[in-house]
Amino acid sequence: MKIGALRLFNVKRFAGRGVALEGIGDGVNVLCAANEFGKSTSFEALHALFFQPHSSTAGDVRNLRPYSGGNPLVEADIETAAGRFRITKQFYGGRSARILDLANGRIVAQADEAESFIAGLVRGGTAGPAGLLWVRQGVTGIDRRSKSEEDSEKQVRASLLESVQGEVEAVTGGRRMAEIMAATEEALGRLVTPTGRPKAGERYAETIERRDRLEADERRLSAEITALREALDKRSVAAKRLAELDRPEDRQQRLQAIAAAQATFDKAKTQAEVRRAAEAELLLTREQRDNAHREQMSFHAALERAAKLSGKLGEAELRNATALANRDAEAARAAKARADSDAAEREAVEARALLARLDAAQKAREAAEQLAELEQKLDAAEAARKEIEEGEASLALLRLPEKAVSELEALDIEIAKLKAVAEAGRPSVVIAYEPQAPIVSLDGEPLKDGEARSYGGRAELAIPGVGIVALRSNSPVGGDEQLRKAAEKRRVLLASMAVDDLAAARKRQVETQRQESDIRERKTRLSLLAPRGLPELREDVAARRAAAGEVLELKGDPVEARAAHEAAEAKRVAAWQAFRATEPMQTTAADAVVAAQTASARLDAERIEVQAILGPEAARAEREGQMAARLAGLDKLLAEHQAAVDRLQADAVDLASAEATLRRLRSVAEAAEKEIGRLREEIAGLTAEIRARSEDAVEEKWREVVDALAAAKGRVTAFEKEVAVLQRLRSALEDARGHARETYLLPVMTELRPLLGLLFDDVSITFDDKTLLPHKILRNGQEEEVERLSGGMREQLSVLTRLAFARLLARDGRPAPVILDDALVYSDDDRIEKMFDALHRQASEQQIIVFSCRQRAFQQLGGNVLHMSEWMPEN
Amino acid sequence: MTFRFIHSGDLHLGKRFGQFSGDLPAKLREARHAAIGKLAEHARSHGATTILLAGDTFDTETPSADVRRQALAEMRHHGGICWVMLPGNHDSLQAAQLWSTLRAEAPENVTLAVEATPLELAPDVTLLPAPCTTRRPGRDLSEWMDGAPTSEGAIRIGLAHGAVQSFSEEGNGLDVIAPDRARRAGLSYLALGDWHGGVEIDQRTRYCGTPEPDRFKHERPGEALMVTIEGAAALPQATPLETGSFSWRRLALDLLDGDDPVARMAALLPEARLRRQFLINLVATGRAGLEARTALASAAESARADFAHFEFDDRGLATECEAGDLDAIDRVGALREAADVLLMESADTSRSTEEREVARSALARLYAYAQAVAP
Repeated sequence: MKIGALRLFNVKRFAGRGVALEGIGDGVNVLCAANEFGKSTSFEALHALFFQPHSSTAGDVRNLRPYSGGNPLVEADIETAAGRFRITKQFYGGRSARILDLANGRIVAQADEAESFIAGLVRGGTAGPAGLLWVRQGVTGIDRRSKSEEDSEKQVRASLLESVQGEVEAVTGGRRMAEIMAATEEALGRLVTPTGRPKAGERYAETIERRDRLEADERRLSAEITALREALDKRSVAAKRLAELDRPEDRQQRLQAIAAAQATFDKAKTQAEVRRAAEAELLLTREQRDNAHREQMSFHAALERAAKLSGKLGEAELRNATALANRDAEAARAAKARADSDAAEREAVEARALLARLDAAQKAREAAEQLAELEQKLDAAEAARKEIEEGEASLALLRLPEKAVSELEALDIEIAKLKAVAEAGRPSVVIAYEPQAPIVSLDGEPLKDGEARSYGGRAELAIPGVGIVALRSNSPVGGDEQLRKAAEKRRVLLASMAVDDLAAARKRQVETQRQESDIRERKTRLSLLAPRGLPELREDVAARRAAAGEVLELKGDPVEARAAHEAAEAKRVAAWQAFRATEPMQTTAADAVVAAQTASARLDAERIEVQAILGPEAARAEREGQMAARLAGLDKLLAEHQAAVDRLQADAVDLASAEATLRRLRSVAEAAEKEIGRLREEIAGLTAEIRARSEDAVEEKWREVVDALAAAKGRVTAFEKEVAVLQRLRSALEDARGHARETYLLPVMTELRPLLGLLFDDVSITFDDKTLLPHKILRNGQEEEVERLSGGMREQLSVLTRLAFARLLARDGRPAPVILDDALVYSDDDRIEKMFDALHRQASEQQIIVFSCRQRAFQQLGGNVLHMSEWMPEN
Repeated sequence: MTFRFIHSGDLHLGKRFGQFSGDLPAKLREARHAAIGKLAEHARSHGATTILLAGDTFDTETPSADVRRQALAEMRHHGGICWVMLPGNHDSLQAAQLWSTLRAEAPENVTLAVEATPLELAPDVTLLPAPCTTRRPGRDLSEWMDGAPTSEGAIRIGLAHGAVQSFSEEGNGLDVIAPDRARRAGLSYLALGDWHGGVEIDQRTRYCGTPEPDRFKHERPGEALMVTIEGAAALPQATPLETGSFSWRRLALDLLDGDDPVARMAALLPEARLRRQFLINLVATGRAGLEARTALASAAESARADFAHFEFDDRGLATECEAGDLDAIDRVGALREAADVLLMESADTSRSTEEREVARSALARLYAYAQAVAP
């Protein structure tokens, strides 16, 4: 589609007036005019013509009306593949829409049909971007927006994000998609929460609640019915049983049976008592007879025992006497052995004491000897120590300081040396005697022949016969200070050593060494005498002295004494053993006595007992006869009683079973009565329960609930399916929209890239993989957030995006005009020129209409310059 | 000798119809009670003085007092008619309370056939009832009729409740009545209850059906039988009488692609004025296009209000989707893509039936929404 002309009348500031923009051509068209000239009004009128139904009174349409009111009229000539048309819309009064075919002047469509025609133009099919691409100062989408939204957007400027996404949304289903999505969401929202759970308070949740409630009711009622049926069953069983029990003939029968059983029981009881008496008598008789028999038996036994006892008693007497004799003999033997043993013991003790004494004496003697020896050693040691001490004392006096001798020696040498040197430096006198010449002396000393004698200062040479020659030298006398000091040092040294000269000192040194040697020798001796020191030796001696006892005088030989002791000990042991050997014999003898006497006593007691049984000898035979007669009588009586008892037992009726029968019959009757009572009670209870439940019509309710539950379950299932369907639809729509976004966005970006290159030398845009939205701008190798782009760059990107879409549409054979209204207010002149280049580049393929107030800047744009002219509608 | 009587049963008085909402349950309940009056009217107009109720007069063993009392009052009101009430499986003798109360309350013209002993209905006409002793007696209760003595030449009429085959209402086959009981027991007629649709088992054995239907199972109106017996050996004449006030219909709408489903449905539905007495279960099967399907759903929805009750089930209806249908959603673009995906999914046999069904419904929904928003 291309736009050829735009005319408007009664729009905004053009109250009662009309303006026209004629001759809009291909390529870039520019309407450049100052603000308030009507440029934005034209833009808005054009927008309303294409996007507002003629019947609309929406905000955008309202805005078109002049302040004074009136009916805005907008008209545009367009050219499409189908031909050239004129679209006219009047809003408010006389609202109309009309499409005129300019080729033949015929009306193609009016009113709603005209709207469909327009919609076909701008939507360019079903899924493409709008057939018109708009960019307005800061407003980048064409979707409907509220006024305040638009205002605020003018202030904050739309983000690039929206500028791209706006078109993309238009592509991906647009408002239809949004409405269908909204309808789906709304339908779903009435059923479930966003997380997919049934929404409380809504029909779905209510249906589920109702189903749950019915389920609970059903369970409750079902239980009640079960209870009712059980009660009915129980009652019928009880009633049947009661009828059986309560029959009169049965009751009579039970009573008769009890009476018969009672009679049988009474008879049995009488019989049993008679029999019990007979049995007691029999028992008594048998006891008497057995006693008589036992008495007779014991009498006979006693007789036999008496005979045996008289023999046994004699033997016992004899054995007793023997045992006593034996015991006494053994006692005597033991006493003797005891005496022997005691004597041997005493001897052994004496021998042992003697031996001990001998040993002690021996030991004391040896100790005394050792003590004497040690004492000698101690004396010697003490002497040695004294000598050492004395030696060391004299040595201390004698000993010269170390090095003193050697120092003295060195000093002597030095003095000699110094003397020699001095001597050499002094004038000297040598005389060569003539034979027999008198001896000349120097300073009193005779001078020998050839002997050079030196002198200091002045000297007198006495020549006998001649006189005294006074010699004087010029060197100062005694001027040798060094020698004097050495001599003084020597003197002090000698004084400190208390010797006269070196020889004496050496001598003392030798003496000292000799004495030291003596002391060392003595010390060695002392250590031999007292290897562990003198104090210890002293203590040892003192200890031994204290321990030393009196030395006993020894009598007898220790060896002999030891042999005697051993013999005495052997004897003692032998005597003891002999004594011990007698002990068992003695015990055995004593035991034999006891045994004999015990046996004797026992026999005696038995004899007394037997005599007691038998009684006096004379009456014995008579007694035996009496006993036999009594036994015979009792035997007879016993047989009689036994026969009587046997007879009674044979005739007896079983009392226990008679009683059991009676008891059983009575309990049967009682139980029957009790059960009758219980059944009557039970039936009454059940009847009450049944009546209560029956009157509640519980089963009717139950059936009602069962039916309602089935219906509610069906409803829940239907709702579940409805939710599933809506969710599936929603996801299908979301998927499709996402997919469309993807498939349209990428081609647009492909188109956008060269345009970006045209405007920005070194800018590239990266897109987020997930949102498919611009993510980062790479400029001069630096990444920047899209949100931080300058206003100028944003609007440039916004325009470029539209241009890219326009290219895409043109390629699809659906060219769409791009309309820009003050779209480049923030861009600097340099950029604007680059944008112009981009626009021209695009314009070779499509129509671009630019509205701007920046007259000066837009002079550079070139293109077809549009002018507004006055216009009046035809009618 | 001619004996004429009405054979009915399965009144199920007191049934509450909990599956429905609104005042329909009350209406249905009331209709059951009204059946008593209708039976009496038919009896009068056809000159019958006996009405045999072959069991299940009451829906439960514990009908509420109003149901019981009002039923008896209605029967008493039709004094010239003798009502014979047989315990069925729903109101068996096990409900001792019910039957003892009925014995106490029943008017003179109501006879309770609670014992398996011959009952004199008229001179030389003997009724041999087989009352249900429990809900599931587990044996053929009509067996005793074989040996039941009656006077020579008397008309023997059997009255029983239960299944003769495995098609019992309760669905178990333990206590089946011998189908040839009439022949074995020398009955002129065996009046059976339990099956809610009237059926002739043989010339002398019939189920009467319920006078007022209560489910979609039987494609028969509410009815009762007027039976005329000319003599002990003569074949009975049975004439159905209409008694129902509500009709329960299960309508099968089997569609072919290209059919106009709305017209087909309209053809199936009864005349508009009668619809308020109809309960309809419309089951659509076969194949239909998206448009046809949407039209059908919307027509069904709009028809709902005409009826006492209307259920529409199109789960068995496969969607035949054409390019034109999808074009109506969108020719290209995201909406069309979504529609394509859903269509593919609905025909994808590798998916479960439920998934396909959901996809199909989602597509239909999308179509409906797309029609609703302006293109």
